[in-house]
Amino acid sequence: MKRYHEIAGDGGSRVLEQVADQRARIAEGLAGVRHLVAVGSGKGGVGKSTLTLQLADALTARGLRVAILDADFNGPSQARMAGVQEALVVPGTEKVALPRTRSGIAVFSMGSLLSESEALDFASAARGESQTWRATREFALLGEILASFEWGALDLLLFDLPPGAERIVQYADYLGPRTSFLLVTIPSAVARAVVGRSVAALSKAPNTLLGYVENMSGYYCRDCHAVKPLFTSGPGPSPRSVRQERAGGAAEPAGLGIPCLGTVPFDPELARQCDLGTPPAALRDTPVGRSLDAIARRLLDSLTPTPAADRTPREHGRPGKEPEP
Amino acid sequence: MKFLCVPCDSPMTLRTVSPPERGSLSVVYTCPECGYEIAMLTNAYETQIVQSLGVRIGPAETAAKSAGAGCPFSAMIPGVDAAPAAAERRDGGPDGVGGSALDWTAAAEARLARVPEFIRPMARTGIERFARERGASEVDERILDAAREFFGM
Ligand SMILES: Nc1ncnc2c1ncn2[C@@H]1O[C@H](COP(=O)(O)OP(=O)(O)O)[C@@H](O)[C@H]1O
Ligand SMILES: [Mg+2]
Ligand SMILES: [Zn+2]
Repeated sequence: MKRYHEIAGDGGSRVLEQVADQRARIAEGLAGVRHLVAVGSGKGGVGKSTLTLQLADALTARGLRVAILDADFNGPSQARMAGVQEALVVPGTEKVALPRTRSGIAVFSMGSLLSESEALDFASAARGESQTWRATREFALLGEILASFEWGALDLLLFDLPPGAERIVQYADYLGPRTSFLLVTIPSAVARAVVGRSVAALSKAPNTLLGYVENMSGYYCRDCHAVKPLFTSGPGPSPRSVRQERAGGAAEPAGLGIPCLGTVPFDPELARQCDLGTPPAALRDTPVGRSLDAIARRLLDSLTPTPAADRTPREHGRPGKEPEP
Repeated sequence: MKFLCVPCDSPMTLRTVSPPERGSLSVVYTCPECGYEIAMLTNAYETQIVQSLGVRIGPAETAAKSAGAGCPFSAMIPGVDAAPAAAERRDGGPDGVGGSALDWTAAAEARLARVPEFIRPMARTGIERFARERGASEVDERILDAAREFFGM
């Protein structure tokens, strides 16, 4: 009797073939993107979404073309933070156009499509048993979005990932080895422990782990214009290293075993602006803005250069600031 | 999954797929050697798991045809994931985006088909709102281009 692998084809269901087609369409849709960077953590509420947008802005200010895909379909934050809640999804003749922020960052977020009072919900033949199929369905939707939207020629596509240390690996598997990872933690032992698990899980994947950013690393007091300690028990950087960071020195590694790309203080003004969807540029000349610019620079240094394809430099970028070799 | 006709030791080929009924698909396979037929009847989980991959089950010709414009994603199993529940609510629901649906020209409708099926109803509603605000009674390609421009795309 014949065995499975002795039979060519898949018996006519075309399932494998169609999954391969999807992959091909995704690869084709991302062909003009030089770097795919996923911003994850494992932990929720540490500032993945906030830093993704701030980083996109810092990169844009350096003249790079950047887009954000808010992969947190169930808890999308980018639409509100980037101010594209009211934006429409409009199909062109080939691909579907992406909403853009005023500074030119293209943003896909489920928050532009679903109001905040609605939960993401899929019709299903197996209702009430969503644990058996839901993650698969969400990844298929991610694939559809990657394949249908107009990513075009980009220097960086940033993925804002949902929380969950196990999910990070699922994104590594789904997005493939072309995608590198940047992790976000905060100086608390509780957060560091979870992010440490993400590091351990990702180190088994072929993807590059670019490093991590320590967010909420001190508190920026707008009255005395100093960065003061915020988490005092955790293994965070000492006040001295916070000072070093502000002076532009390399941040002190905090024991995750991967490079630290920088630290970002907690700034109440940043929290306020995220809620209002104010353009991130407003913070450029503050400790947060300066930290993010340093992180953007280190991020670019850590990305393996890839040959530029068609790329005409962006019109409204700062001239002569193409940091890619 | 592949099916083998044991007496002939020959792989069976997929012949028909009936539309899902209460979450179950009936898929008929036939042996090209002896003509023997079997039917695979799926339960709701099996249907949903395959459907969650964003693929369509069916004989090659039908699947290729309905995929239209080479888009495998619009080719879901018919009737299972027709529209997300939330989007249905948004479409005609209590938060009332105002009035009945607008007419779409064939060209505009063809463009809309490029939007992933799951988010299509939401995209449609938003574009119709945009059209109404501009006093249009129909969505055509001009409206779509105006919307692209308006949102800085
Ligand atoms: N450095 C910071 N300064 C001030 N507020 C911050 C900072 N980082 C994050 N926040 C705020 O913390 C909250 C959670 O951040 P968010 O980016 O949504 O986290 P995550 O995406 O990891 O779940 C948001 O309200 C955000 O505005
Ligand atoms: Mg988030
Ligand atoms: Zn037979």
